[in-house]
Amino acid sequence: MTLLRVEDVHKSYGDEEVLKGVSFEMDRGDVDVLMGPSGSGKSTMLRCINRLTEIDSGDVWLDGTPVYGPDTDVNELRQDVGMVFQDFNLFAHLTAVENITLGLKRVLGVPKAEARERAMEHLEQVGLAAQADSYPAELSGGQQQRVGIARALAMEPKLMLFDEPTSALDPELVGEVVEVMRDLAAGGMTMLVVSHEMGFARSAADDIHFLDSGTVVESGPPEQLFERPEHDRTRAFLTGLQAETHQ
Amino acid sequence: MSTDEPSVADEVRTTVTVDTDQPWALIGLAVFWGWLLARWTNDFLLPAGLAVPREQSFFPVGPFEAARETLLSVAASLGLFGAPFAFLAGLFSFVVGAIPSLPALGRGAWLTIVLTVGGIALGFVLAVPLSVARVYGGRWLRWVSLSYTELIRGTPLLAQLFVLYFGLPLTQIIREVPGVGVGYVPGTAAWVAIIGFTLNSAAYQAEYIRSALESVDAGQLTAARSIGLSKVESIRYVVLPQGLRYAIPSWSNELVYLIKYSSLAAFITVRELFFQAESIANETFRYTELYVLAALFYLALVISASVLMNGVETKTALPGLGGKREA
Repeated sequence: MTLLRVEDVHKSYGDEEVLKGVSFEMDRGDVDVLMGPSGSGKSTMLRCINRLTEIDSGDVWLDGTPVYGPDTDVNELRQDVGMVFQDFNLFAHLTAVENITLGLKRVLGVPKAEARERAMEHLEQVGLAAQADSYPAELSGGQQQRVGIARALAMEPKLMLFDEPTSALDPELVGEVVEVMRDLAAGGMTMLVVSHEMGFARSAADDIHFLDSGTVVESGPPEQLFERPEHDRTRAFLTGLQAETHQ
Repeated sequence: MSTDEPSVADEVRTTVTVDTDQPWALIGLAVFWGWLLARWTNDFLLPAGLAVPREQSFFPVGPFEAARETLLSVAASLGLFGAPFAFLAGLFSFVVGAIPSLPALGRGAWLTIVLTVGGIALGFVLAVPLSVARVYGGRWLRWVSLSYTELIRGTPLLAQLFVLYFGLPLTQIIREVPGVGVGYVPGTAAWVAIIGFTLNSAAYQAEYIRSALESVDAGQLTAARSIGLSKVESIRYVVLPQGLRYAIPSWSNELVYLIKYSSLAAFITVRELFFQAESIANETFRYTELYVLAALFYLALVISASVLMNGVETKTALPGLGGKREA
């Protein structure tokens, strides 16, 4: 069953067209990875799905609802779409658990005690219950990102967007975040991930979409895309990536 | 996944205690505030039978006069070598001149504090929406906020007070309010001054808060929006709590400025600290004594404000946010 449908999405910043007609679909429970060189429009595509960036033309449907429909409430839409950021963006003035309860209390109207309880469950899920009362500045990058994932999960979204979740992390901290993401994928969460984590893509992704200069050059399951890429641009990019990973 | 990783919390979270490097300053402040509170209690709260008369000082002049006379005669007997004693006698002269004026200055200090606290607090209430409008508002809101700020900052505070006091019928309205000017409640002119300081301070505070809001990382607002908070909620629950912490150090300046600028209220007949000092000086011709004394009062108030704001900064500091930052 289709959960997300992106159809011919165009987006320009000034004269520069960042997305030149991107289309793809995701079923419920799918894990898709967007790959491509920097500036290819991956992050922009992600932000167009929860309207942190507005598209110029095209259509996006989430669970049958037109994301850009005239009657669509952006704030309600965003409750269904969790987002995890490259720079974590944890609320700096709130503890780990408060980062999670804020949305529960203010957006979903969950009473205080229940909000904390639910937040603690999500912290446990990412293995950080012991750090519940630490402030972001007191946590390592990997821990912060795991809180960021828990914060998004707590809203019980239908779809989770990951915008380069591990690229701001020291190499030794990448593993803990990828592990949480793998658990999520195994648990049936629908995830759209912008990432160059080959390990994650290979083991968890259903489909990989390779973007270059605003278009999807090639899509397919990881074994096909990694082993038998059809396009030269895909091959060149992957070769570069593998060289980097193995250095 | 392990849940018992060590957090760096214990290293970062340091308790900051009150600065006790300058015990003398703190003792001086304690004496000043002890006397001030005693004076206000006596003047405003105690019934007439129990209270010392409003114009009578707590301290007798006699011993200081006697000491001065003794020092002067010692100085005279020593001839050329008497200079240090003559200098000491001069200090006692200052004290003798100062003591009778202390009650009036104490009452003036009350009004100075009321004007300052009223202006800064009400100004803050206006400044927050002004700054938010400036940073996050649409074109019109930005324009309104900017115009207000520039108008107020671009004209003299004294002129603003004159317009409010002489130019508008504010005084007639305020005079009708029951209780105005009774006991510790400020009189009509003081209320006009509070309105003036509020409008003025709001513009300056809005500038401080604006730059603090701008220093909050843009990702914070994005993250707040991404969980479904509206723009107003995101500002209220995420941006402002951080921005206001950043604003505290510069905002403390505004408090210190306003303590001193509140003396301009004297020009619209408010009997605050400077007004009292000036009128006593005019009656007694002890100009030097009274202005030095007034300056000492202002200094004590300003140092008190600094100590207070340091406390606020420390209290509100969170790990990685506000407080005494490294580098």
